[in-house]
Amino acid sequence: MSVQPAGISFQSTAINGIDVHILPTAKFKTTTIVTMVEQPLAEETVTPTSLLAMVMKRATARFPETKKLREHLDFLYGAIFDVDVLKKGERQILQIYMEVPNEKYLSKDTPLFEEAIRFVGDMLTRPCVENGSFLPKYVDQEKESLRKRIESLIDDKMKYANQRVTEEMCKGEPYSLLVYGRLADLPALDGGRLYRHFQKITAESPIHMFVVGDVDVQHVQEAISSLVPLPRRERVQPPVLDVVKPVEQVRQVIERLDVTQAKLNIGCRTQIGYRDDDYPALLVYNGIFGGFPHSKLFVNVREKASLAYYAVSRLESHKGILMIMSGIDVRNYEKAVNIIKEQMEAMRQGSISEEELSQTKATLTNQFRELQDSARMMIDFTYNGLVSGRQRKLDEMLTAIEAVTREDIARVAEKIQMDTIYLLRDRKGEA
Amino acid sequence: MRMTTFAQVNETVCHEVLRNGLNVYLVPKQGFSKTYAVFTTRYGSIDSHFRTNSGETIRVPDGIAHFLEHKMFEKKDRDVMHEFSKYGASCNAFTSFNRTAYLFSCTDNLDKNLNLLLDYVQEPYFTDASVEKEKGIIGQEITMYDDNPDWKVYMNLLQALYQEYPIRIEIAGTVESISHITKEYLYQCYETFYHPANMLLLVVGSFDPADVMNLIRRNQEGKAFPPAPKIERFFPEEPPAPAQKRVEAHLAVGLPKVLIGFKERENGLKGKDLLKRDLTTKLLLDIVLGNSSALYEKLYESGLITETFDYDYSCETDYGYSIFGGDTPDPDALVEAVTRELEAVRNAGIDPEAFERAKRKKIGQFLRALNSVEFIANQFTQYKFNGNDLFDVVPVLESIAREEVEQRMKEHFQLEQMAVSIVRSAAGQESGKS
Repeated sequence: MSVQPAGISFQSTAINGIDVHILPTAKFKTTTIVTMVEQPLAEETVTPTSLLAMVMKRATARFPETKKLREHLDFLYGAIFDVDVLKKGERQILQIYMEVPNEKYLSKDTPLFEEAIRFVGDMLTRPCVENGSFLPKYVDQEKESLRKRIESLIDDKMKYANQRVTEEMCKGEPYSLLVYGRLADLPALDGGRLYRHFQKITAESPIHMFVVGDVDVQHVQEAISSLVPLPRRERVQPPVLDVVKPVEQVRQVIERLDVTQAKLNIGCRTQIGYRDDDYPALLVYNGIFGGFPHSKLFVNVREKASLAYYAVSRLESHKGILMIMSGIDVRNYEKAVNIIKEQMEAMRQGSISEEELSQTKATLTNQFRELQDSARMMIDFTYNGLVSGRQRKLDEMLTAIEAVTREDIARVAEKIQMDTIYLLRDRKGEA
Repeated sequence: MRMTTFAQVNETVCHEVLRNGLNVYLVPKQGFSKTYAVFTTRYGSIDSHFRTNSGETIRVPDGIAHFLEHKMFEKKDRDVMHEFSKYGASCNAFTSFNRTAYLFSCTDNLDKNLNLLLDYVQEPYFTDASVEKEKGIIGQEITMYDDNPDWKVYMNLLQALYQEYPIRIEIAGTVESISHITKEYLYQCYETFYHPANMLLLVVGSFDPADVMNLIRRNQEGKAFPPAPKIERFFPEEPPAPAQKRVEAHLAVGLPKVLIGFKERENGLKGKDLLKRDLTTKLLLDIVLGNSSALYEKLYESGLITETFDYDYSCETDYGYSIFGGDTPDPDALVEAVTRELEAVRNAGIDPEAFERAKRKKIGQFLRALNSVEFIANQFTQYKFNGNDLFDVVPVLESIAREEVEQRMKEHFQLEQMAVSIVRSAAGQESGKS
């Protein structure tokens, strides 16, 4: 049972000032079209961009009523459509997602691909605007929706703890911002301001459009050329992402809330970003330390000490943060922190078995190979390279992981420092 | 090995029943990098009252199916998760109301991973010490769910809808109920429900079906199994009416959460009839509650629902219910508005255009889901357990008439079958930093 060669090969061209990347493949039954508008993550724009994503999907010039717009999407065989914001390091990405079935699986003959591109073009170039403003009705409703979305962050305690430790750890850095924005910015936002922001970012920000499916490259290029005529100015490139930030002292933050299980989150600085030569070694470090069920955190916090159901670490590759997360009984707080510190120290001292190293390389390799079965993940992998300013091909990444040595891991381990230990706990017991 | 081709969706299924009774299905996917295998037993959290192989009737502690799933990973001389890691696979398992599934995905070493999956699930090893140790881990899993408002509002609704039927019981049990679990109980459950004849193995992805079938056959023929026990499960009689009309709980949330449920009065459907009810009701929910419906528009514009508003329908032979809702600033106003509007929709009937759109939408979504080997793997098994074929969804959808949806609407949305579950913050317990 052989392994196929690994590769994700988008064909790239510039059309109407948009970087278009097309990947023809017969293995999916749908066509996926993802557009990414890139901006720096910044106080002045974080809330307008987040609100813009919500207002954009309410209406276009062709479908000024939301109900009609959604009926049209249903008519296109339940086209999946969304506009959302994501955080990649200190970037806020406005993402327009569209996915339609490939016509060849349908009994009726409907030109779904053109319709999908037309719809994306509507979003970007033919919005629903009156007197230089998005419609106040939609803006007001979506301000309310955004307020509720931000307030509901607290519902998911894992996400909440993750945002809170990020805020504490990155105070004063743009990365501390919640990608959905700030409640305090909402009252001052109106349809006119939002439309000016829309015009500015669609004219100046780097825009990438990805198309994955059983498509003809030239056909796709022609459709984008005629249906997405963006009025582009000179591109304003956001500054290079910086991940270096030495830690002066470890901070401890305890917060109380109505919870049963305590959430322990520890934010660490790695000083290594996606574009650095040491990034593959950082991936291996994280895999041995806390990325998998064979990792030190899982084995020692969960399996041996029986303290937690989950104990993991995750990388934020564009910010150089390694985040440790666990859910524990608050009485075991010190015990859990000590075990985690011991495991970090073990990593520093290079006490890593041959098995841990080979398991981690095998599972990481598997993860990267699996990307090829998902249009969304292939797009994300490629876009990570574009945003960071260093594109690695998939087989290059696999080779780099395979080549990581103990010395490489030791070098990475030397750079990693705990920054903030955060505990979300119940309201009982001593303060 | 029998092969069936589903031309419309361009999928092929290979099937064989092995000598020990195990049903094996293979779904080869051209061009994919990974392979995904799921080994499932027809045994879940609701199967807690049954006859053992020695003929006695027992009632086991709540949460034991899930506990057993956890304990399958531990062996005398090795750790299963570490073995999978060695071969680059990622492995997992889950327990639902009526099944327990063990799975992995890999892009290499399929033969080793597949043997490992079959071997570890067919080789129980429980000790008193390891059972005790697991209680701490699962205890934390349970408290994690206790803090999850979405889970809480959902489980509370099931408890409001059902008076007796055990889907009202938490899948993982409670800290108290799992404290009674012993290795003897685990072996009894294992011996009753893990015979190959009660299980299904499905492999989806990139492989040669003949090779894989040979490997599975070899593995199974190398093991001895007792004759398949006749499984006898006991379920309480469930009255048609909900247990409670309304239930409310307190957890730290930004906005209150509300779920509304309708419980099926008539059950007992099997095979195609069950599939048709499932799809017809899902079409109905799309038409009435989907984000292009008049009801959704009205509720959203009045601020009573948010983008979290969602709906779903589950049906099995013995039970069925729809659930919908989400975050709302005013649960009571939302329940009142929904009740009123549903009555209006019932009287107005189903608009032919909305019906056509909903059908198209469902077909498109189904095609999209077939891109995912995970979706195929998990859904396929559930469909098979109910006597259906996942790849029959499109033709069955196409066969549904508007009148059938209207009929379903009248049957399903009956106010006396409705219950409401609410979760909100306790007064004066809003978030605070210290």
